[in-house]
Amino acid sequence: MPKIDLTMDVNGRKVAKQTEPHKRLLDFLREDLNLTGTKEGCGAGECGTCSVFVDGKLVKSCLMPAAKADGAKIETIEGLAKPGSLTPLQQAFHKTGASQCGYCIPGMVMAATSALRENPSAGIEEIKERLGGNICRCTGYTKIFEAVEIARDVIAGKLPETALDEDATGDSFIGANVRRLDAPSKVSGRLKYAADIKMVDMLQMQVLRAPMPHARIVSIDTSEAEAMDGVACVITADDVPGTDGFGVFVHDQPVMARGKVRHFGEAVAAVAAEDLVTARRALAKIKVEYEELPGIYAPEDALVDGAPVIHDYAQDNVIKHIPIRKGDIDKGFAEADLILEDVFTTQQVEHAYLEPEAGIAYVDHDDVVTVLSPSQNITHHRHMLADILALPINKVRFIMSAVGGGFGGKEDMIYQGMLALAAMKTHRPVQLTFTREESLVASAKRHPSKVHYKMGMKRSGEITAIEFDMLSDGGAYGMSSEGVMRKAAILSCGPYEVHNLKVDTTVVYTNNTPSGAFRTFGGMQAQFATESMMDMAAEALDMDPFELRRINMMKIGARTHTQQELTTASLDRVLDAAEEASRWETGAPRMRGGQRQDLGGPDTRRPCTLGARIGDAADTETKDERVAS
Amino acid sequence: MNRKMRGRGMASSWYGIARTATIDRAGAWAELDDGGTAKIVTGVTEIGEGILTVLAQVAAEEMGVRPEDVTIGDNDTSRSPEAAHAGATRQTYMIGNSVALAAREARDMLFTEIADHWDVPAGSLRAFDGEIWALETNLRMTMKEAVGTCKARGVVPVGAASFTAHGTGLDPVDGSGSPWQAYVFGTQIAEVEVDTWTGEVQVLGIWAAHDVGRAINPRGVEGQIEGGVVQGLGQALMEDYQTENGYTTTHGFAKYILPTSLDIPQINCTIVEDPDPLSPLRAKGIGEPALVPTAPAIMNAIYDAIGVRIKSLPATPEKILDALRNHVPGREQIAQAARQDRAEAHRRGL
Ligand code: FES
Ligand code: FES
Repeated sequence: MPKIDLTMDVNGRKVAKQTEPHKRLLDFLREDLNLTGTKEGCGAGECGTCSVFVDGKLVKSCLMPAAKADGAKIETIEGLAKPGSLTPLQQAFHKTGASQCGYCIPGMVMAATSALRENPSAGIEEIKERLGGNICRCTGYTKIFEAVEIARDVIAGKLPETALDEDATGDSFIGANVRRLDAPSKVSGRLKYAADIKMVDMLQMQVLRAPMPHARIVSIDTSEAEAMDGVACVITADDVPGTDGFGVFVHDQPVMARGKVRHFGEAVAAVAAEDLVTARRALAKIKVEYEELPGIYAPEDALVDGAPVIHDYAQDNVIKHIPIRKGDIDKGFAEADLILEDVFTTQQVEHAYLEPEAGIAYVDHDDVVTVLSPSQNITHHRHMLADILALPINKVRFIMSAVGGGFGGKEDMIYQGMLALAAMKTHRPVQLTFTREESLVASAKRHPSKVHYKMGMKRSGEITAIEFDMLSDGGAYGMSSEGVMRKAAILSCGPYEVHNLKVDTTVVYTNNTPSGAFRTFGGMQAQFATESMMDMAAEALDMDPFELRRINMMKIGARTHTQQELTTASLDRVLDAAEEASRWETGAPRMRGGQRQDLGGPDTRRPCTLGARIGDAADTETKDERVAS
Repeated sequence: MNRKMRGRGMASSWYGIARTATIDRAGAWAELDDGGTAKIVTGVTEIGEGILTVLAQVAAEEMGVRPEDVTIGDNDTSRSPEAAHAGATRQTYMIGNSVALAAREARDMLFTEIADHWDVPAGSLRAFDGEIWALETNLRMTMKEAVGTCKARGVVPVGAASFTAHGTGLDPVDGSGSPWQAYVFGTQIAEVEVDTWTGEVQVLGIWAAHDVGRAINPRGVEGQIEGGVVQGLGQALMEDYQTENGYTTTHGFAKYILPTSLDIPQINCTIVEDPDPLSPLRAKGIGEPALVPTAPAIMNAIYDAIGVRIKSLPATPEKILDALRNHVPGREQIAQAARQDRAEAHRRGL
């Protein structure tokens, strides 16, 4: 394909380059100019990590063909301030702790810069709206808003420049708001994540993924792909030299599908080639013959007699069942004045870290197979990969690259094995970067759950017994399921001392996207049910919800659901703190929203109507705000 | 019913710190380096939560230098001691304490040399913010000079340490056991506005009170709470990864909806410190626990606003409208009143 010539002014420097016609502005900046501060979070205009200025306008560079920017003036995160310095906005991000993993931050800084350029006196509502196209998964946006407001006021001269300085430290660094040491590299786009790193002679990998959720692999023919110009190797399960299997608790997942596929999007084969386009083309040449198998798509169906078996070792499809027993629930329910029974469900949730999975593998001068990736568990991954590669453990090395958000989702070794195999086969560095779509279908999710809950209480509010039964969909592989069930069971009935309880948590295999570790590890699903029940009970007993919790809360000396004696317990203190901070108006939870007097305080935000802040209708509103301030 | 209805709800939570129902461990190396700087090497680090800064604060405090003087080595299974994984709300607790112990050991090595040099008891030495001094004397020097003196005496001040948390496994039959040595508790309150025409729920305020043991970096703790709350809000109201017969139907952010800046309530954090008696730093953790009470607090608030209880997450506009359509005003209350009467009757032994 003929190349195209592009000329641009990029960060004040004239750039003239030949490039491939298919490139987006994002690719041109990252690949041709090495300006990797601009990130690809989604490639679809949905996340804003790729935001740059084109002729002064904020643009999502993943949506713009590079050719369209020919002749334009481009400004990227790298161009906002001179090397070694930060703009007031970047300094404000540093000060407030507005960057966590940092992956959204270059785009966020660009969007905020745009907001303040367009309206240097923008109010908070306008700032929020102008940042509306930029997703941050880590910070909850709050420190970002704070940073933008501080920067706005410093730039306008309403706040002294010292407002950007670090808070003073007293006589200890413990308890001090020391600024994040990693923030300068994050707010300036200098921090390199795995996808930003280039190595000499590096190959690009692409993965062929299962087009159906449950099927036997009859045959894989890679010969045509292997024969293509520019293809360095094609790998399948047959290339695994050692014991193929990984997982956090049970090693039930092969590096690539072995004999059958168990979920849509599972890796079946991978290609390493001179460039991405060649690798993609080669995937299309791999011929896989599948024989579809009946699947399981709901956890209840996994438990019925005659259900399809997904893993041979687990004929009943059960990954794990955790029981907890304490006291005598029959006695407890007999003592109850009130018994509530209900069912609660939670959905499957995606981690949506803004950095899609990415990594590089190479074999070093000591023949050490090295994998650099944003892995949340390099220790365990090293163990597993050594077994998979049949190498001594000191011949496998994991380096944890900067992690652009994890939340548990990067604990599973879902691609590092493929990278290592290709590096060993080619003795060249190999890089793999997931697309957002790949990340969504191939990575683990939060376990969806269904809890049958039965709670017995005395008129006084004292809980006499709880029966708690949770069924979870583990999806196609075990991953962290066992641990998630354990934590869900241990925490199940909440921070209350319950003398009689029967808790069961069960997770089963299905042919859905696997579930795994996700911030709270089952604790959230379980306590959503418990805390809903507590409020329903408070209503039934005509009791304030704080009071009901105080009656039952664990105190020092309490025995937990697993009969551990607590030597510290702070629920009393956090209840008091929350009740006081929120100016909570005491009363039973029975639709009293209309009457309560504690609503709409200065510690709440205004409700918003989309689009009301920028543009004609809202001009008046923001102006009024400005007059008022 | 007015179109826009407001309400409040609360929820409490508890959580265990570090790995569950097993022994947990983490190792670290420390060195007081030339120029009064410091090196820390440990096998796991930053996933965005701010642990690098926490470790620098801990090392600086223990070694008498400043956080910006601390260099933290890369996380690398071939170049650093094992610190296991980045998860389970274990970073501050496990790695923080192992770094504190390793730094303390390096400092003690330096103190021994300087005490000998000054001819004072090592116990009288203090170091902070780049300076070292002996109590009740005029003896004082910079840490740069102290490291120089120590090395001139032939000693490189280094330390290595391992920190252990003693969780035990659960009994396979009754689940009894001590899964963690440290627990945290939290409570959150949500204030919502429900648009009864569109079913849309806006969370206007969150009050979040969490015990963290001891806040090493309060701003960092707030950042974790705010991030956790917003993930909880996402799960409560909009996020939903869906498959149909195994095929993913939410394969991009156009279909998988995440909270944006327009969905964010004012988040009011209260940090409660109930120090951990079993570890040198006395800190516990906040990463995961911050998320736990948010969704139930929001569901309880929705009930307060419109009398509809959502038991199946997420509470999407469709679900809210559906529930409102089937909602007989006061039905839940009548049912509850009946239950109460029965309970009352039962109590009186009728
Ligand atoms: S908006 Fe361009 S990468 Fe997401
Ligand atoms: S800091 Fe925004 S996505 Fe991580």
